[in-house]
Formats: sequence, structure tokens, C-alpha cells
Amino acid sequence: MSFLHINNVHKRFGETHVLKGIDIAIEQGDFLVLVGPSGCGKSTLLNMIAGLDSISEGELRLDGRCINDVHPSRRDIAMVFQSYALYPSMTVAGNIGFGLEMRKVPRKQRREAVDRVAKLLQIENLLDRKPGQLSGGQRQRVAMGRALVRDPQLFLFDEPLSNLDAKLRVDMRTEIKQLHQRLGTTIVYVTHDQIEAMTLASRIAVMRGGELQQLGTPQAVYDDPNNLFVAGFMGSPSMNLVKARIVEQGGLPVAQVATDDSTLTLPVVRDRDALRDWCDRDVILGLRPEAITDPASANHGEGNIHEAELPVALVEPTGADLYVVTTLGGTHVNARMRPGTPLRSGERTRFAFDVSRMVVFDPESEQRIRDERTAETTPLEETA
Amino acid sequence: MSNASPERDGGARERLQRWLPKLVLSPSCVLVLFFVYGFIAWTSYISFSDSGMMPDYTWVGLHQWSRLWTSWTWGIALHNIWVFGLLYIVSCIVLGLILAILLDQRIRAEGVLRTIYLYPMALSFIVTGTAWQWFLNPGLGLEKTMHDLGWQSFSFNWLIDSNMAIYTVVIAAVWQATGFVMAMFLAGLRGIDGEMIKAAQIDGAPAWKIYARIIIPQLRPVFLSAVVVLAHLAIKSFDLIVAMTGGGPGNATAVPATFMYSYAFSRNEMGIAAASAVFMLAVIAALIIPYLYSELREPRS
Repeated sequence: MSFLHINNVHKRFGETHVLKGIDIAIEQGDFLVLVGPSGCGKSTLLNMIAGLDSISEGELRLDGRCINDVHPSRRDIAMVFQSYALYPSMTVAGNIGFGLEMRKVPRKQRREAVDRVAKLLQIENLLDRKPGQLSGGQRQRVAMGRALVRDPQLFLFDEPLSNLDAKLRVDMRTEIKQLHQRLGTTIVYVTHDQIEAMTLASRIAVMRGGELQQLGTPQAVYDDPNNLFVAGFMGSPSMNLVKARIVEQGGLPVAQVATDDSTLTLPVVRDRDALRDWCDRDVILGLRPEAITDPASANHGEGNIHEAELPVALVEPTGADLYVVTTLGGTHVNARMRPGTPLRSGERTRFAFDVSRMVVFDPESEQRIRDERTAETTPLEETA
Repeated sequence: MSNASPERDGGARERLQRWLPKLVLSPSCVLVLFFVYGFIAWTSYISFSDSGMMPDYTWVGLHQWSRLWTSWTWGIALHNIWVFGLLYIVSCIVLGLILAILLDQRIRAEGVLRTIYLYPMALSFIVTGTAWQWFLNPGLGLEKTMHDLGWQSFSFNWLIDSNMAIYTVVIAAVWQATGFVMAMFLAGLRGIDGEMIKAAQIDGAPAWKIYARIIIPQLRPVFLSAVVVLAHLAIKSFDLIVAMTGGGPGNATAVPATFMYSYAFSRNEMGIAAASAVFMLAVIAALIIPYLYSELREPRS
């Protein structure tokens, strides 16, 4: 039995079907990130776990107990809100201790608990201030303190970093991750930022339009996306999605992609069995920018490298990397190369494609084309 | 030559643009200076003069002021304004807040209800006073209706009871202003972050504690505005009392404003009336000026 079990949960607001049967199960100590574009239902799902929204259909279980109709304060959860939702008329200590006060914890014990959490979050010197006198990052800490002090079974975070500036966001992200590792708490975290999802999560649930698109470890979601949406949403710069055609060559399926002046043929390594049925049909290839490199930086050991000479449309140096753009199947494709590679647009250069990382999608259904045996669990997910 | 004239034109237009607003505003500015501040000064002077029925500019120092403060009617008027003002402000705020909290529960037909509560504010005090005078008149309104319906023992004659008459004025005034106060509180309640209430729910606070500990403390600016608005309305209250009780029975519902009116225009004691008027102005100024000061200063800080 899993620790938090979201079992076929639906949400309807009148006619609109906001959540269409969500199934997620996580274990104690997991860090689940619900990620998706705005309006995908991730915040609604979090509010339902918190008990702030009712459940139209389905069941929520926390530690074996059905919590569908349990009042938010009795679910043994704590929540950190996007706006921090600090009580402006109380001091920081009052804010952190309010939940304990409502639970009739004696003053002395309350004071001790508040001090302990304040020390953990390094906000001891702020305890007597009002929220209005704090900076964004300090408010964020107080909001986390208010959640931590109660020592609940489950923490809920609703886009807690989206009101911070970019630098502080990265710092707080690191702190949340450290806190999770130190305290071993179970967390459900909502964000629309896929980098936050990748860095924090032990499990990612990608959602769109009220439906769960994929649930898995960050690596599995990144390397082995279920459909075009997940492939395009996760990763920055995003995965290259290229129109191609599967043909048979020497008894094996290969993918043919139109370049500016000729045709590029890429061997298919993954999901070969499934792709046999797709011969002479159009598909969409997914290749991460880091799977297209210069021959020298290609992973010849593990990968399956296929080289080709292609024209360079554009060069974008970022300092750490050099993104080289070429045209494949009528769209621009990003390749990540070693910085300092002397290249200019208009030239031709050799590109190394790591076809072992190539994924193929059905252009109609937008679903991944995979072999039967890898469809259920991928090896990557099992190791997590 | 040809490029000198547009420059001159532009200069003239610029000068016109600079002076036009001042020109347009100056007549009203002069009128306000004369009729408001000029007459304030004039009234203040009269309060130190020997004026009776007609203005008399003989300086008598604090003579009129001491007559005002030894006047028995002025004592009643001051006592009444205290009773009226306190009850009026407290009842309006309590009822307004309760109504606002009830209306804030996302109920149906909220717009209709809000309008119903706000409508009394659209009536003038004269209309309110007259309507309530009819309604509370024992021979005409509520009491007679109850008698006609067969409840012969029903009695509600506060309007003609000199000990209770001031409370009928309170009832009418509260009826009129509660909707307005409710609207102020409702706007304040709508401005409160919904996530904060969710956080309090998760913290385990029952609804009344959420209001008492989290929401109402945040409405402090609304309380302040309500008190200032209601307090100056209370001190200025004149037409409501004239329409409802005429200051009676006897002097039972006399307030400073009716006192001032009767001394100035029926008792021919313009000096005392002027002193009472200046006193009311001073009280209102003591309330409004710090309020305006804090309100107007706020955006900068």
C-alpha cells in the first residue's frame, strides 16, 4: 500500500470537467512534483489533497486512511501557498505558532517548537517582526516554518517560488531540496516550471487538460516521454521534434529526414519492433539537443552514433554550450556542441546523432511508438 | 520670417495651455475662499461679538462662549450628541460588519441584497426622518397597525417619550447609514487574500476565529474610515432630527446643530449660535484633519 494514493480522482465544476480521473501513488519520503501548463488542473488536485476543494469522484488515501471527507485541519497535512498567505496582523512567531495554538498546544511547548523551526530556517532574529516588514525570501521561509512546525505527514507546496526573483528562486529551490533530504518528509509540490520539477522531484507527474500525461522519475520523463506533449514540455531548450518517414532498409526500419538539400537516413535503435509496423508512414522523431553534437563530443562509448554533414543555419553561443541550428524536416533543430567550435552560419559541418536516444511519435495520436515490453515500466524507472 | 511665426504661435499656445486651467479654476476658487473660509472667519468673529438678532461687531471677548457653556440647553445638546453619536457609530459598525460578513458568504442574489441595503443612503435625511416619524408615530404607524391587527396591548411610543426619543433618532440614522458601512466592509473583505483563509483552515481555526484573529484585524483601515465618516455625520446631524422630532419633545432630542439653528434664527442669540457653530467645526476638524493627513500621506510612504 502506497503512502499517498490518488485513485481515479475526478473534479467537476458544474459542466466543466477539470480533472478526468487522476491515478497517482507515491511512497513515504517521495517528492512528487505536479507540473503542467496553467489550467492543467495541478493546483486543483493539490487543493483536493489539502481538503480545500471537494472530490467529485474517486478516492484519496493518506497512509492507508481514506481522507475524502476529512476536514483540512485533520488530514495531518501542511501547505505552503504561492502568496505565502501569512497573517499580516500577527508576528512571525504568531504566524508559525498559529496552527499549534489552534490545536491547543500549551504556550511553552509552542514556543519551543517555534524556536526549533526558526533555527532550522535561520529566521530566529525575525520572530518578533510582522510579515509586512519582511522581504520576499524571508516571507517564504516563514511560510515554510508555518508548515514545518506542525510536523505533518504530508507537505503541500503550491508554486511557492513563483513570487521570488530568479536568483532567490534558485537558492530557495536548493534549500527546499536540502530540507527534504534532511527531514525525509513526503512532499507534493505544484509548479509550472519544468526545471523546478526536474531538480526537485523524485517523481514527476506531468499534467495537461485535467489528465495525467506521465508519471515517473525525472530521468524517465525526460528520456522516455509518453507523448509529444511531455517531450516538448520537459527540457530547456526543448526536444527537437522533426517530421520523418520510416522506411525499411536491409530488413530494419530506418528514419528518413529531409534536410535543406538532401535526405538524411538515421538508423532506428529504440522500439525497433514497434516501428516495423510503421514502414512507409510519416512519424515525428524526438531528439534532445544534447543527442545531436559535434563528432568529438559524442558519447561513442554508450551511444549509437550516426554522423552526417549538414548546413549550419545559425550559431547561438551561451557560454557553457554552443547551440548550432540546422534545418531538418522543415523545422529548425538545435544541436548542442562544444563551446569554441569555430562555426559560422552558412558553413557545413559534421553532426553526430546519438540515435540510441531517439524517440518516435505517432503524428496523429501524438503518442509515443514503443515496443510492448518497455511500455509498462522502463528500466530507468525501475532503478529509481 | 516664415519660420519665426510658428514659433511665436507655439509660444502663445503654450502660454495659453499653462494659464487656461488656472483661469477656469480661479472663479470657483475665489467663491470657495469667500463663502467657505470667509464665512468661517466671519462666524468666528461673531462668536466674540455682542450680536443678537442682527450682527453687532462690538468685541465682547469670551462673553458669548461663557454663556454657551453655562446654557442648560447646550448641556442637553452635548449629552444627546454623545448618546446619539456613540450608539450611531457603534451600531452602524457592528451591524454593517455583520451584514458584510453574511453577504460575503458567496450567497445568491448578492447584488440585489447589496443594493437593497445601500438604498437608504440614497435618501436625504429629511425623507428618512419624515418616513420614520410616520412609522414610529403611535397614532399613525407601527403601533396603530399592531392595534388594527388586534394586538391591543402593543405599545411603542418612544417618539413622544422625552427619555426615549433620542433612541428613535438613532434607529433611523442607523437604518440609513448601515448599508453604506456594510459596503465599506464588504470591499475590505473582498480585498483579503483567499489563500490566507485556506491557510487558517488548514491550521485548524474555526470560522469565528478566522474572522476574529485574521480577517477583522486586517480591516483596521476600514474601521478608521467608518468611524471618521460616521462621526462627522453624527455631529452634523440636523435635518434628520428636525424632520423626526424637531428637537423635541421639549429639548429632549436637541443636538448642537439644532441648538445652533434655534439660537441663531428663533431666539435671536446670534453670538451664542456662532460660538456653538465654531465649536462644532473645531470638533469635526479635530477628527477629519488627522484622518486626511494620514490618508493623503500614505501613498508616499
